[in-house]
Amino acid sequence: MLKSVTSSGVAAPQATTGATSPQAKMVTISINGKEVEVKEGSTIIEAYYQSGLDIAHYCWHPGLSIAGVCRLCMVEIEGNPRLQIACNTTVVAGMKVNNSSAKVKDAVKWGLDFHLINHPLDCPICDQAGECGLQDQYMKYGQYDSEMGEQKVKKHKVVDLGPRVVLDSERCILCSRCVRFTDEVSKTHELGIFNRGDRAEIGTFEGKPLANNYSLNTVDICPVGALTSRDFRFRQRVWFLKNAETVCTGCSTGCNVKVYFNKEGLFRMKPVYNPNVNGHWMCDVGRDTYKFVNKEARLLEAKVVSSGKSQEMPAMELAKKLGATLRGHGTSAALVLTGSYSVEEYEAIVSYFKTDVGTKNIYHWINNPETFDSFDGLLFRGDKNPNTRGLLEVLKAQGISGSWKELVDGIGTGAIKTVVVAGPENQANFPDMKVKIAELSKVAKLVWLTSGKNAELDALTGDVALLPVKSYVEKAGSFVNHAGLRQQVDRVMTVVPGAVSLTELVDLMKEVGDAMTVKSTAATETVPAISANQIGQGRINNEFTLSRGVW
Amino acid sequence: MFKLSDEGLKYVKNELTRYEVKQSAIIRCLYRAQDENGGWVSPDVISHLSAVMEIPSAQIEEVATFYTMFNKTPVGKNHIQVCVTLTCGMLGGRELCDSMMKEAGCKKTGDVSPDGLFTFSKVECLGSCDTAPMIQINRDPYTENLNTEKGLELVRKLRTAGGAGASGKGH
Repeated sequence: MLKSVTSSGVAAPQATTGATSPQAKMVTISINGKEVEVKEGSTIIEAYYQSGLDIAHYCWHPGLSIAGVCRLCMVEIEGNPRLQIACNTTVVAGMKVNNSSAKVKDAVKWGLDFHLINHPLDCPICDQAGECGLQDQYMKYGQYDSEMGEQKVKKHKVVDLGPRVVLDSERCILCSRCVRFTDEVSKTHELGIFNRGDRAEIGTFEGKPLANNYSLNTVDICPVGALTSRDFRFRQRVWFLKNAETVCTGCSTGCNVKVYFNKEGLFRMKPVYNPNVNGHWMCDVGRDTYKFVNKEARLLEAKVVSSGKSQEMPAMELAKKLGATLRGHGTSAALVLTGSYSVEEYEAIVSYFKTDVGTKNIYHWINNPETFDSFDGLLFRGDKNPNTRGLLEVLKAQGISGSWKELVDGIGTGAIKTVVVAGPENQANFPDMKVKIAELSKVAKLVWLTSGKNAELDALTGDVALLPVKSYVEKAGSFVNHAGLRQQVDRVMTVVPGAVSLTELVDLMKEVGDAMTVKSTAATETVPAISANQIGQGRINNEFTLSRGVW
Repeated sequence: MFKLSDEGLKYVKNELTRYEVKQSAIIRCLYRAQDENGGWVSPDVISHLSAVMEIPSAQIEEVATFYTMFNKTPVGKNHIQVCVTLTCGMLGGRELCDSMMKEAGCKKTGDVSPDGLFTFSKVECLGSCDTAPMIQINRDPYTENLNTEKGLELVRKLRTAGGAGASGKGH
């Protein structure tokens, strides 16, 4: 039935590159002596990226307009006496371009030396170290003794540009990427380059905070350590972090992201280019969605409260007990689902309730009905669930259409005696959490599946069971975004070893008395599968992706 | 709060129609607003222009801070710009500036004199080397062929004249 979910009708932000559609005419040019076919109308720098060749640059970014200020992407064009910048020169058929000649290398070397005149050598304490454009280009094109003998100009350091972004003006090379971002993408126009010459600095007018919901993209695109994220600053050296691609679960847009992690947990999220979903960007709210995954916020063991006594036990044991209780429970059992889980999990648990438990009392918990359909025009949507659409498709296919009122009435009259709640993963997105807990705890027996800790749940005194479930990075599965694009994600890492996914839970519940075997999908999930580039059928490989991403 | 006069507003609206890109009108509008604001561009001026011209305030600030002809701090009624580039410098431009400043009661360039009448700036070549040393007061025609005596005399004259600039044309 999910075959009906197609990847059509996607309204995506357009990447503002000079690159044209896949049907575009191709022209043949020669790059560094090699004949290559590139799209007609590309700039030379795009031609380099299309052919997978290396070229130095700072100010050019595929998602922004051309500035031509860093003067680092110099190329030699045959028949042209002077070097040209590759970012602002369009290719023509038969053009012969070269950036490997001594002349170009010398130009880049001097470009770098000028960029570094006033750049402090504070790499050991700089957060950008390890993913810094200056370091990279210096290792490739530099490695010289600086010929600059002058004192470095002192500028502002540790400037609070906004709640999430910190500026170090001395490190800034004035590439203007961040200024162009606030002008062209977020269209909030906070940033500008003030003063001139060696006193020029990035800033906001009258110290007005850079507080838009996309401000951290400026940190991503900053090629040096001038803009850093207040959240991530000084928390980890980037070379100690692994990364894997997944999908952001902050809202129904489903931005493609990279999560950075080590054995302690997740540390940050960055967007991954996907022209059909999020372009180059993601919102600041989405970047916080790694926090609820980490151990501090998680429920580690299952907990059962009955007649005032609380007892901890492994999730597997509780799952089997639940299976025994629920089997054949009939219509006095009910299931509440939120949009946080994967399509595969919905399929498993819904069919379990229909066939094994024998009830169609399955209800959709909508967290913020008032703002559900809102959209900020760029990426951020009011539906703060990654998979509402997937849930609705599953419910529709299984012929389930219960309203929330039915559930509340059922609990009120005592017709519903047991409620299983597949609760929200990201509780901050559920402003009605308290209300719903109060409503649902009136039932005789409440089973709450949750990945996170919750004080209200812990305070419940009736017949309550809490069971830890996996967060989105701990399981494979697919999420259907607002436009119907189904995106497949792989497991990234394990944070809470004791947690189970809904699919594993169903398998455990089905196999009452059958010890410790977790079969089918669960078995495939335990295979370590940290692989990049696996998400999203709609994903198009990024012709601009550098080996390490566009810094 | 700074507000343009009705005429100033008309002037700005007219400037906006003159260019393909309205950012092109920023310099002329800033000049006008600076004149109306007693010779300097205050944050209020930028906010007001931003609202009137519908251009983000950061972009106007970029222009205002780039060009030295826009004063970012208050200036006296007579903003005296003394040329200190080559010819004027060799013929005593800096000394002229220093003695005029002393006479006017300004401790350093950029300061407003206690009576509010004078601010001095040392500027780069104004293109009148044949009449060095020379100065420009506000945006008036140049005052040329100076020496220390003439400079001091000028300061005294301006002080007796009180408020108005040399030609009364404003900043």
